[in-house]
Amino acid sequence: MPKTPVFEVKDLRFTYRKSSIEAVAGISFTVHEGEVFGLLGPSGAGKSTTQKILTKLYTDYQGDIQYLGKDLSSYSNDYYEDIGVGFELPVHFSKLTGMENMKFFSELYKSRADIEPLMKMVGLHEDKDRLVGEYSKGMKMRLNFVRALLNNPKVLFLDEVTNGLDPKNARIIKDAIRAFKENGGTVFLSTHLMNDVEELCDRVAFIRRGEIVEIATPRELKIKHGRREVKVEYFNNGKTDEATFELDGIGDNEDFTKLLKEKTIETIHSGETSMDEIFIAVTGEEIDRGDDVDA
Amino acid sequence: MHNFLPLFKGEIQRLVKYKILQIALLVTVMWLAILFLIGEESVAEFVPLFIFMDATLMTVMLVGANLFYEKQENTLKTLLITPSGFAALMMSKFLSAIVLSFQSAAVISLFAYFIFGVSVSFGWLFIFVALITFMHTALGFVLTVFAKDFTGLLALLIAYMFFFAFPTIFYALGVFGETAELWLMFSPTHASMLLIEFSYGLDVRTVLIPIGAIYLVLVGAALTKWIVVPKYVETAVRE
Ligand SMILES: Nc1ncnc2c1ncn2[C@@H]1O[C@H](COP(=O)(O)OP(=O)(O)O)[C@@H](O)[C@H]1O
Ligand SMILES: [Mg+2]
Repeated sequence: MPKTPVFEVKDLRFTYRKSSIEAVAGISFTVHEGEVFGLLGPSGAGKSTTQKILTKLYTDYQGDIQYLGKDLSSYSNDYYEDIGVGFELPVHFSKLTGMENMKFFSELYKSRADIEPLMKMVGLHEDKDRLVGEYSKGMKMRLNFVRALLNNPKVLFLDEVTNGLDPKNARIIKDAIRAFKENGGTVFLSTHLMNDVEELCDRVAFIRRGEIVEIATPRELKIKHGRREVKVEYFNNGKTDEATFELDGIGDNEDFTKLLKEKTIETIHSGETSMDEIFIAVTGEEIDRGDDVDA
Repeated sequence: MHNFLPLFKGEIQRLVKYKILQIALLVTVMWLAILFLIGEESVAEFVPLFIFMDATLMTVMLVGANLFYEKQENTLKTLLITPSGFAALMMSKFLSAIVLSFQSAAVISLFAYFIFGVSVSFGWLFIFVALITFMHTALGFVLTVFAKDFTGLLALLIAYMFFFAFPTIFYALGVFGETAELWLMFSPTHASMLLIEFSYGLDVRTVLIPIGAIYLVLVGAALTKWIVVPKYVETAVRE
């Protein structure tokens, strides 16, 4: 199946006015139609900046960006009929209710999604008539997500979309992203959380100090950088010992089979290198596991 | 001007929800109360002054309140990623400020007319109040861009008013002589006051009226084009 490129980015560079270093330092990537493309990197890597360039908030960039085969800068404001943008910070009128906010923004688009089902989906329906100022951070972030879907977008931009969500609400949002993709949508997702990438992304770009270090599918990364092994815990002279074996060719591994025959086995685990370990291996930097919780 | 109507509707809705309209009404009521205290014989002198204060000072403050909320809540960012035209966005803000000024100009002038018999050319009054508000809305944007918070805005506004009040006061005291009045027109404050006095049939040199009106529009447009448009968007987006 040939993949249609939605975005083709070549040697993108951007420097903030008061800064001497490039926030985005020559990155290239392609986002295909119908995929969830992740930009993963530590705080300050340039993810939000990249999203702001792709959503035409910053126009003074260098390099080439094609959207559906045409230069991004050649699009008028109609471009915004196509895309939905979720910001990393709350962006709502605090003295309006959640519903009043959504209705106001909805009226600015030609295509308008039904708001109530979206509010139900993210669990905000009961609070839809409360002032946004009274919402918790997590509720505001879920409202941001609804906001991004108001115009039935073709492409969804999500910046740290699960940040500040408890596991239950993070799950709701992740399911919604998957449903969006299953309906043919394309997602550009920036995050510093490994969980998001492992669960959602078809392809992920590791970004660090404005540069993309590697782009691949999570599976490819695991095969390339990961070690596949089997860890056995067994009973030995009154205490528990452990041994580790390569997963490949394990049937012919005599040490392994001997151990199974002669010892009392307590546990056997097959281990894959986690994405965290891969990220550190590739970029030399640590990344959040992403278990921070806030209602 | 794509999306002007829903944007304007939203501005008006927020004037109510953020209680900005209510505060404006309260100030109007306060002017009315002062008019009563002043008493019939001097009312005619104070009515133009109060309308002037509302279209200038109050405009800057209310625009400032609007914009500081916007900064705090990051809402301009999310408006900028809608298909709305930027011109429509600006226009909705200018017009909502004009609605506020019209509200107070209407209440004060009708009240003065029916209760105290202070006559006015309503047509000129509303045209000039609109122009004055336009220019002072642009000024409100500019001061907000340069102020850190609302207190900072008030400080800048007071400095601005003092700066432009002095020439007018000296002129009134006869320090400058007759020909100085043309130069005074460079003060938006002076030009604004003159236009309102003209609407109230006070003794002003008619030739200065078109000069003042055109001048206010030019200043408002220049501030908008060269300061508001580039700076306002930049501060909203780059945070
Ligand atoms: N408004 C700004 N002005 C100047 N520098 C900025 C601004 N926003 C971000 N930066 C800098 O640009 C770099 C990338 O930031 P950002 O794109 O927000 O990173 P991320 O989203 O990956 O955390 C960082 O070094 C950050 O300090
Ligand atoms: Mg970010």
